[in-house]
Amino acid sequence: MARNSAIASESFEEILTWLNPDREIAGELYVQLRLDLTKIFVWRKCSDPEGLTDEVFDRVARKVHVVRQSYEGDPRLYFCAVANNLAKETFKKIGTHIPLEGVDLPNHPEKSADDEDIEDCLQRCLRKLSRETRHLILAYYAKEKQAKIDHRQKLAQSLDIPIETLRVKVYRIRESLEGCIGRCFERKAQQKGNGSHEH
Amino acid sequence: MKHEVLSDALLREFLLGKLDDEDRLQIESLFLVHREARQRVLNAEQDLIEDYLENSLTPPDREIFLSMYARTAAQRQCLRITKSIKDEGMAEATLSQTGPAIIAGRSEFLERLLFRPVLLPPISVTITIAIVITLVWLNSRMRQERFVVDQELTRLNAPASLREVSPEMVSLDLSPLTFRSAVRQVQLKTGTGVQIVELRLPWFQKEHPSAYVAEIRRVDDDESFTIRNVPLESDGRYATRIRLPAQILRPGQYEIRLSVIAANGETDLAEEYQFTVAG
Repeated sequence: MARNSAIASESFEEILTWLNPDREIAGELYVQLRLDLTKIFVWRKCSDPEGLTDEVFDRVARKVHVVRQSYEGDPRLYFCAVANNLAKETFKKIGTHIPLEGVDLPNHPEKSADDEDIEDCLQRCLRKLSRETRHLILAYYAKEKQAKIDHRQKLAQSLDIPIETLRVKVYRIRESLEGCIGRCFERKAQQKGNGSHEH
Repeated sequence: MKHEVLSDALLREFLLGKLDDEDRLQIESLFLVHREARQRVLNAEQDLIEDYLENSLTPPDREIFLSMYARTAAQRQCLRITKSIKDEGMAEATLSQTGPAIIAGRSEFLERLLFRPVLLPPISVTITIAIVITLVWLNSRMRQERFVVDQELTRLNAPASLREVSPEMVSLDLSPLTFRSAVRQVQLKTGTGVQIVELRLPWFQKEHPSAYVAEIRRVDDDESFTIRNVPLESDGRYATRIRLPAQILRPGQYEIRLSVIAANGETDLAEEYQFTVAG
C-alpha cells in the first residue's frame, strides 16, 4: 500500500482540533498518534505499517466532520478502532502467512557496502550529538546479556536518576540518532543512484 | 485492563502476538492514551530487540520477531542501524579498557625518539612547515567569504532586522519533519530580484525556550551555516523565523535543525525541517 497520503487541509485542521483545541498540544498528539499507530501495525505483522497509518488518517479525515459531533471519549481510541478494523480487513484480503526464509540479519564478519555506509553515517550523526549525550548512549550499550543489567543500574546511579528515567532518556536519544542515520543512509543511496545514472 | 498490570512478561507476549484479540486491543488502547503504559510497552519492545540482536531469543520467538521487525528491507535496515549503535557502544567500551595500553605504547615511542636526538631536527622542520601551510590555508579567501556570509546572517536575523519587510524577500512556511507524510515537500524558487529568503518554522512542542540555534545544512555536500539566538515568537501560534541571503542557496535539498541551548551551554536537537531549492 505504498502511497503518499495528503489529507485535505480542512480535514487535517479538523482532526487537529478534535485531538485537542490547543493547536500546539494537538500537533504533538498528531505526531505521536502517527508513530504509535505505525507501531501497532508492526506488532500486528502488517506488511506496510506506514501506508496503513496513512489509510487510517484518510478514513478518519473522510468522517471526522460527522463523527466528532457525536463521539464521546478520547478521539485516539476512535483511531485505534479504525486501525483495528483496517488490520482485520487487510488480513482477510492477503492472509497472514509470510515466508521468512532468509530475512535474518546477516551475521558475517565481512562488512557489506551498506554496512559501511551505515557505519559512516553513525559516526557523522554521533558527532552531531553533544558530548554528554554521545557518551550516555554509548555507555548505555557498552555491555550485553546479563552484564548489561548491572551496568545500566550503575550508570543510572552515577547520573542520580532512576533506571526507568535512564531508559526513556536513551530511548529518545536513540530514536533521534536512528532518524539521523536513516536520512544520511538515504542520501548516500541517492547519491550512488545519481552517480550510476551519470556513468 | 489497568496499566499497572502490564508486566514485562505480559508485554513480551503482546509483542510476540501471543495474546487473544481482546487483550491485545486493550493493551493497544492503553498504549495510545496512557503515557506510562506507552513507555512500558516501548521499553518492553526495546528489550525484545536487544534480545534478538544478542541472540537470546528462542528459535520460535526469533521467527515471530523476524516476521514483525525484519519483514521489509526498510525494517531490516532499521535493525542494522540499531545493531550498529549497540556495536559502537561495545567497541567504545573495549577501546576505553585498552586505552591505557595504547597510551603506554605511545610513551615508549616518545622515549625512543628522545634517545635518538638526531631525528628531532628534521621532524621539527616538517612539523613547522605543516603548521605554516595550515595557517596559510586557514587565512585563505574561502574563510574571508565565509566570514562575510556569517556577518550577513547575523545582521539579517537580528531582532531589529526581523521586524523589517523587504520587497526583495520571499517567505516560505515549512513543517517539522515529523509532519511530512501529511504535508508535501516545500520547494523554493529563487528568481531574479530575490535577495532574502525568510523561512517560517512552526513550533509544536510543549517547551518554549526563549532562543534556539538554527543550523542550515545543504544535504549534498554538508555545507552548513549556523544562526545563534533565534528567538521564538508567538501570535497565538509559536514559531521561529530565520532569514537567509538568497545568494548562499544553491539548487538541492536543505535541512534545518533547531536546537535548544541548555543551561550548561550544550545544544540539544529539538526539531528538524526540510526544503528544496529548485535548479
